[in-house]
Amino acid sequence: MSNRFVEAGLRAPVNLTWEVTLACNLRCEHCLSSSGEPAEGELSTAEALSLVDQMHKVGVFQINFGGGEPFMRTDFEEILDACHARGIMTCISTNGTLIDAGLVERLSRTRLVAIQVSLDGAEKATCEAIRGAGTYDDALRALRLLAASPIPTSINTVLTAQNTTEVPALYDLAERLGVTLRVSRFRPSGRGSDNWEALRPSPQQLLDFSNWLESRGDVRTGDSFFSLTAQERQGLGLNLCGAAKLTCCVGPTGNVYPCAFMQLDQFKAGSLRERDFQAIWDDSEIFASLRGLRIHSCEDCRRFDQCHGGCPAVAYHLKNDIEGGDPECLERCVTSIAEKAAAA
Amino acid sequence: MAAAGIKLHPACRVRQEGFGLLFYDSRGPRLLFAETGSLLPADFFGTVRRKDEFPEGLSERQKNTLRSFLAQLIEKGFLREQPIC
Repeated sequence: MSNRFVEAGLRAPVNLTWEVTLACNLRCEHCLSSSGEPAEGELSTAEALSLVDQMHKVGVFQINFGGGEPFMRTDFEEILDACHARGIMTCISTNGTLIDAGLVERLSRTRLVAIQVSLDGAEKATCEAIRGAGTYDDALRALRLLAASPIPTSINTVLTAQNTTEVPALYDLAERLGVTLRVSRFRPSGRGSDNWEALRPSPQQLLDFSNWLESRGDVRTGDSFFSLTAQERQGLGLNLCGAAKLTCCVGPTGNVYPCAFMQLDQFKAGSLRERDFQAIWDDSEIFASLRGLRIHSCEDCRRFDQCHGGCPAVAYHLKNDIEGGDPECLERCVTSIAEKAAAA
Repeated sequence: MAAAGIKLHPACRVRQEGFGLLFYDSRGPRLLFAETGSLLPADFFGTVRRKDEFPEGLSERQKNTLRSFLAQLIEKGFLREQPIC
């Protein structure tokens, strides 16, 4: 990753997370946005299509759709079509419950879409304890339909204390299904904040996962685990937080934030109902502040070049201090384990 | 036999930035920051090009630099070779 160019500021995000709705037919324990009912005043179809147009004009390469469950929006396929007609690549994060053969056939007509189906355990009981009854079979049904299509598909697993030991089995399951595995970091936002203590992986679990991940170059993590990866994974270039530099997040009502885990008033960069996207990207004070953020307390760490202080969202949610460094980085996991051993 | 041309890989995108060109490969995903300044516009990659085809007005030295750059893009998978016709 060429931090020099990134820190100088790109003219637009590389990709964008767009939470198109808060509506969801599930109530997962770790949901980052406490999804359930739709948000009041979600973007209309016309507003959503206007945003797609803006994304095209500013040069966004890819939009990652999430929510809520994106397919709960009846106009979601129309929004996708508008992206694909403009050459914008899309990735959809879905719980899989609304995916049927007809939908897969329609989505297969473009080569610009990829889909992640959430599955939070290789064992049915593990998954359903977090996601609810019936979710395991629904996800597998969706994954089988997608695996038989040309759509690049992955299992998306949020790493929790309950499923860390099942990650290798999830990898094998993905291989058997003909899809790939993506593991995302559990962060204390939304319902994830309410259930943080119960679901957070321990330092030893994070360390074990980090070691496993190092030998699995084909497992995707997005930018979730750049602060945890023992060595920069070759070619992925994940060594810094991309919020406001490479990416940002649009919420269901058109508010723009640095990332999906910072959808709080204090991090709001602007509203698309008041300003166009380019103006928000260029002029937002909070974006400027994050672009200039330096985690000085981490600069002497031997791993600084690999994470640059880690995830500011986790630092904010756990310590109320985005300048304090990631409280759950690999180095702190190792220190924590050593301190515990010494105390024992 | 048709002459060899080059084209942006369908999984890749490119756009102009202040420093030059920013390439994106959705298969990684991965990024490539090319400090090309204004030597080569992003829309150069919007169509199939001959390997020796460059914008007008470039010196031989600049063309040689670009030949090497395009070869690297092919090697890294951002561009792919295909027949012209």
